[in-house]
Amino acid sequence: MIDWILLAELGVNGIFIGMMYSLISLGLVLIYKTSGIVNLAQGAIAMTAGYVAWALATVSGLPVLVVAPIAMAVMFGFGLMIERIALRRMIGHPVLMTIMLTLGLEIFLRGLLPGVFGAAVKRLDLGIPQAPLFVGELLLNRATLTGGVIALVLLLASIWFFGSRQGVVMRAVADDQTASWSVGIRVERAIAIAWGMSAMAATAAGILWGATQGVDWSLSLLLIKGLAIAILGGLDSIRGVLFAGVIVGVAESLATGLLDPIVGGGTRDVIASVIILGTLLLKPHGLFGEAHIERV
Amino acid sequence: MKMTRRTFVASAAAGIAAPTICTTGAFAQEKVVRISAPQDFTRIYTFVTSEYSQGQRDYFTLINERGGVGGYKLVIDVSDHANDLPRAIEAYERGKREGAVAIDPLSTPVARALVPRALEDKINLITAYSGRSDAADGSVFPYVLPLSINYWSQAGLIVEQFKRIEKGSLQGKKLAFVHIDTPFGKEPLPILEVLAKREGFTLNAFPYTPPGNDQSAIWPQVRRARPDFTVFWGAAVGQTVALSEAIRNGLPMDRVSSSVWLSESDMDVVGRAAAKGVMKIEPCVGGREPKIIKDILAEVVGKGKGAGPEAKVGTGYYNYGVQMASLIAEGVRMAAQKAPNGPVTGPWLNAGLTAIKNFTAEGLLPPTTITPDDHQGGGMGRVAQWDGNKFVPITDWFTANQDVVWDEIRKYSAEFKKSGK
Repeated sequence: MIDWILLAELGVNGIFIGMMYSLISLGLVLIYKTSGIVNLAQGAIAMTAGYVAWALATVSGLPVLVVAPIAMAVMFGFGLMIERIALRRMIGHPVLMTIMLTLGLEIFLRGLLPGVFGAAVKRLDLGIPQAPLFVGELLLNRATLTGGVIALVLLLASIWFFGSRQGVVMRAVADDQTASWSVGIRVERAIAIAWGMSAMAATAAGILWGATQGVDWSLSLLLIKGLAIAILGGLDSIRGVLFAGVIVGVAESLATGLLDPIVGGGTRDVIASVIILGTLLLKPHGLFGEAHIERV
Repeated sequence: MKMTRRTFVASAAAGIAAPTICTTGAFAQEKVVRISAPQDFTRIYTFVTSEYSQGQRDYFTLINERGGVGGYKLVIDVSDHANDLPRAIEAYERGKREGAVAIDPLSTPVARALVPRALEDKINLITAYSGRSDAADGSVFPYVLPLSINYWSQAGLIVEQFKRIEKGSLQGKKLAFVHIDTPFGKEPLPILEVLAKREGFTLNAFPYTPPGNDQSAIWPQVRRARPDFTVFWGAAVGQTVALSEAIRNGLPMDRVSSSVWLSESDMDVVGRAAAKGVMKIEPCVGGREPKIIKDILAEVVGKGKGAGPEAKVGTGYYNYGVQMASLIAEGVRMAAQKAPNGPVTGPWLNAGLTAIKNFTAEGLLPPTTITPDDHQGGGMGRVAQWDGNKFVPITDWFTANQDVVWDEIRKYSAEFKKSGK
């Protein structure tokens, strides 16, 4: 017999989990929109941000919520630094090499951070009460509820940002870098800002997921979920991230509830892979991505 | 210079190994027993290895500072295998070349991979809290020595504790088993299934995808199944996430238990107050009260010779390391009694280890007897409960359901004997 309350609960929690995943995808989209690169280090940057927030809170003795803006600022600088030191040198090289560089960065960070801060899981306490929150028979997970709402606010703020003056500049760079140069737009600066903002989105993800699961290397695994959402939504669409995040979160959650008991478990991660493969095969530009037509 | 992960890991391993190399030099002219300890400092078992290794090294330092055991100094060669089989095998072969008579890899996949080599080379493979549960059968695995309660015995102890809570009967009760979806996570299932039939409770298993960093869709199912008791079985982030989700789903903590893989550090991550009531299996005494731990603090750490941070001395995992080191040292003592002049070989140490009788390491462990047939040491443990500040034992040392456990041990060891798998 189907437990409808359980399904509703999984669906609702899946929505909020999907929103939290979306923060990783947001960073991926920001970089892809401006420079055409898929940043495979986005998960590791979120992990780095988790460690930075933990270190700041531990050293200062201040609450995580207080140090979160400082962590955001630090990570914005980190994003700028990656772009300036590593990515800008790759201009003129094949895109594939640049993507491989981000993969190398991911592996490097995943080894470095646990080495520096210790491999044990770290507590990142946002002060969210752990006691269950019931709405009728439905349990809402306070950690994912809070994380999902914050993620939604940040996603909406990003959509608003791309309508602002700086956002229009970045969209212009995304559309045509050469044309942007010709009208006086500082393309490198726009790309650097995209990296900084992407690192800030990763910081939000790192802190929210760190508060949910603790901070350790496994935060870097968020990349796979982030990629699935970004590909499904369209790699150049922030609006797509919002909708695809909900779809992936709910699909994973329901699969765990419905399919795991039948097949014996393990469907959660398969969902992300199926979404990546299915989208690329059936609708390569995703649900909301733009199909670019090039003259050959 | 660009630093790759491999370079970083190699540097870290070199850093860990460097003090050992220096120590080794100091013992060059003495009678030594060499133990190889390639362990996972950088990948999967990171949650336990540093504290476990620190405990081992501090105990060996204590013994050596007191002049050794049976006329022998104990040398431990620590390195990092990163849970990587080729590196672990390389470390094993290096240890063999350098005369190691025991190896302690602290990793289930590595221990499993090394079993055929250890049996052939007659090098004592220590598989504390890892490796094959059927290795308790010394008649089939003469050179594989868990020296501690295996996962099947731990599951047996947990069920017995639940039975005691229910005043002697689990008839009609429901037990949820939430586990990481790996061979390690599935290990207790055969025992739990047999006990479910025997005791009349319903067993529901809920596997989660490794490493278990997101279990948000698993625990609502557990809660909706309305279990009377819940066991969660994983390691590292999987454990802290499982416990957090159990709390968020409102499961009563005093009806939730785990294996030996739950520590004070995990409670810090979950929230010390929120986790109050959760139970775990203790294979040895935790904290700083045992005499050996006090001696280490006074004679090793107090003299600046500790292998790691003083704050970690006496944590659960630190004491597991001391437990294993003390059993190895006792094995050396027994071996030296039998054959004072050696030669120091795998069989020499094996004869000592399998002659350990009612050893408690001055109150650190339950009475442990290792025989050529029983490499588990009797299967004793106790249940401890988190009181918001520390794990407090709520039972004495006891064994439970060993008939079921040994049926499984013999079944699987017979299969190994037949097929080599």
